[in-house]
Amino acid sequence: MSGPVFPRLLRTTSFRLAALYVAVFAGSALVLGVAIFLQARAALQEQMDARIESEAAFLQGEFRKEGREHLVAVVQARGKGANALDYLVEDAEGRHLAGEIPAGRGLGPGWTRIDVPQATEDGGRPETVRALVVDLDNGAVLAVGGDLQQIDDLEEAIVKAFVWTIGPAAALGIIGGAGLSRVFLARVDAISRTVEAIISGDLARRVPTRGTGDDLDRLAAMLNHMLDRIAVLMGSLRQVSTDVAHDLRTPLTRLYQRLEEARAEGRSAAEYEAAIDAARAEAEGLLDTFSALLRIAQVEGASPHAGFREVDLSAVAEAVCDAYRPDAEEAGHVLTAAIAPGVRIRGDQELLTQALANLVENALRHTPPGTRIQVRLEGSSGHPVLSVEDDGPGVAPGDLPRLTERFYRGERSRTSPGNGLGLSLVNAIAELHGAELSLNEMKPGLRVSLSIRQD
Amino acid sequence: MKVLLIEDDHETSAYVARGLREHGHVVDLAESGRDGLFLATGGGHDVLIVDRMLPGLDGIALVQALRETGVKTPVLFLTALGGVGDRVRGLEAGGDDYLVKPFAFAELMARVNALARRPPLAERQTVLRAGDLEMDLLKRTVTRAGVEVDLLPREFQLLEFLMRNADRIVTRTMLLEAVWDFHFDPKTNIVETHMSRLRAKLARNGGGELIYTVRGAGYVLRTPGAESA
Repeated sequence: MSGPVFPRLLRTTSFRLAALYVAVFAGSALVLGVAIFLQARAALQEQMDARIESEAAFLQGEFRKEGREHLVAVVQARGKGANALDYLVEDAEGRHLAGEIPAGRGLGPGWTRIDVPQATEDGGRPETVRALVVDLDNGAVLAVGGDLQQIDDLEEAIVKAFVWTIGPAAALGIIGGAGLSRVFLARVDAISRTVEAIISGDLARRVPTRGTGDDLDRLAAMLNHMLDRIAVLMGSLRQVSTDVAHDLRTPLTRLYQRLEEARAEGRSAAEYEAAIDAARAEAEGLLDTFSALLRIAQVEGASPHAGFREVDLSAVAEAVCDAYRPDAEEAGHVLTAAIAPGVRIRGDQELLTQALANLVENALRHTPPGTRIQVRLEGSSGHPVLSVEDDGPGVAPGDLPRLTERFYRGERSRTSPGNGLGLSLVNAIAELHGAELSLNEMKPGLRVSLSIRQD
Repeated sequence: MKVLLIEDDHETSAYVARGLREHGHVVDLAESGRDGLFLATGGGHDVLIVDRMLPGLDGIALVQALRETGVKTPVLFLTALGGVGDRVRGLEAGGDDYLVKPFAFAELMARVNALARRPPLAERQTVLRAGDLEMDLLKRTVTRAGVEVDLLPREFQLLEFLMRNADRIVTRTMLLEAVWDFHFDPKTNIVETHMSRLRAKLARNGGGELIYTVRGAGYVLRTPGAESA
């Protein structure tokens, strides 16, 4: 699980996102920088050109007004300033009269570039100037130039500024991304470790949460919720296996004993027949228990709403009451029905019929003759309540919460036939339909109700 | 009667085949879905008994294939799967009845008999007769020797099922499914109680016993003069 940290860091989602963000940021900064650079250079050049042009025009004016000697004097005076331009005044023979720009190059009128040797500045390196050359009268030439170095310096400054901005920003982004990824990795590792522990058998482990409610926390909470649910299911599965092993042992042992006895003591055909019938009855009971268990498992394992149709619950209740009424009368019970008409829900008609039949049968079997049993269907189609109520002796207080457990049989019904699975099945059917099964002591009697809620 | 049994479990097929032969029927056996399909398309069978889980071609696919080729022989599915959805799927595929393992042989025999002689839909009558008993399915009335017998709706359905299967044994489970639409085994005496009330009503104005209990199997409505089933 935990290989070298660095390559894993590079693979994390958070790091990749950070890297992508840095790349996008750097790219956009570069585009911005280039735009500013080009704009600034163009503006500076324009400014310099304007200055050179106006200077040249001024000097030309001085020349026309006062003549060459005066021009030479003015140029010499202006060339001394700190931020001065570079000049050249040359006569028709190419002789240098004034300025730092060397003469004798045969300059033609217009814009040009001239290298000017420097005596001391910049270690004697020639500086390049952009110059405007103007013809004066009788072959004399005036040149006014601006130092390109200023523009170059500015360009360099802009480039430097951008490098200094983008560099640290990118470095910070990468470091931040790596840091975030480490935190993220640590939490993912924590989840992985928990899962590994669970896989190797420590089923009680849960993924740590920080209580911050962030996405990883929500994921961890969901995982824990899922683990809890699985634990409950596994617990009930374990319980079922134990119950099955325990509760099927008794009838199997009885079956075995009856067959043993028949073999050891059976003498007449009638005795054999009796022994076989008894063994068959045991086997039938066992098969019943198995099919009840299988049915509960099928109902519990069914996905909700698969195969659901619209069911007329009122008709189901009427049909069940109708089926059991003669039986109840024979047994001296009074079965009455108070069924709201036209209650329809989505569900499985067969299972709902069986659930109600189980409840009615329970009431019939566990109450003495003379008991009144009422089947009631109340409420609307959205929220119907189906109940079976009797005024019999009820159940022992300790039994009430355990009646829906598989194989559980209350103290008072231990001796009557049954496998203790009826209410478990009803409970499973109720859960499949999103209904709540509740058992209430009525003093006297018991009320078992299915409260169905459908949207 | 000629029965084709398609079942891969030797124990089950030997048990069923022996029982059917003891009752005087001819039994063909197939152990895989493909063999079964081949034999079934050959025709000449009155009933097919088909296991749901078969090697090669499962029972549902087999019956679907049969129905597509136009073979209308009644099919009884045998299955170890007892779920609600399983039964519905079996019937939708073209099965006519469904029996969950383990089953009593009497139950199988009764269902096979009911299937083999089930009248085609078109020939269904509106008046059923059995001895001096007459049932008008349109008017929903029953008369015995010309005297009207007043029955509750459920008793009427019960008698109708018995009359449609006159002289054949019908089991408690068949009645629960056909009359009450109960596909589970109630632990109480629903069928017995209704049956005794029906008998009492039919005997109110004299006349002999019509509905007999067959121990360990079910009930039969016997018409006078018919061979006993």
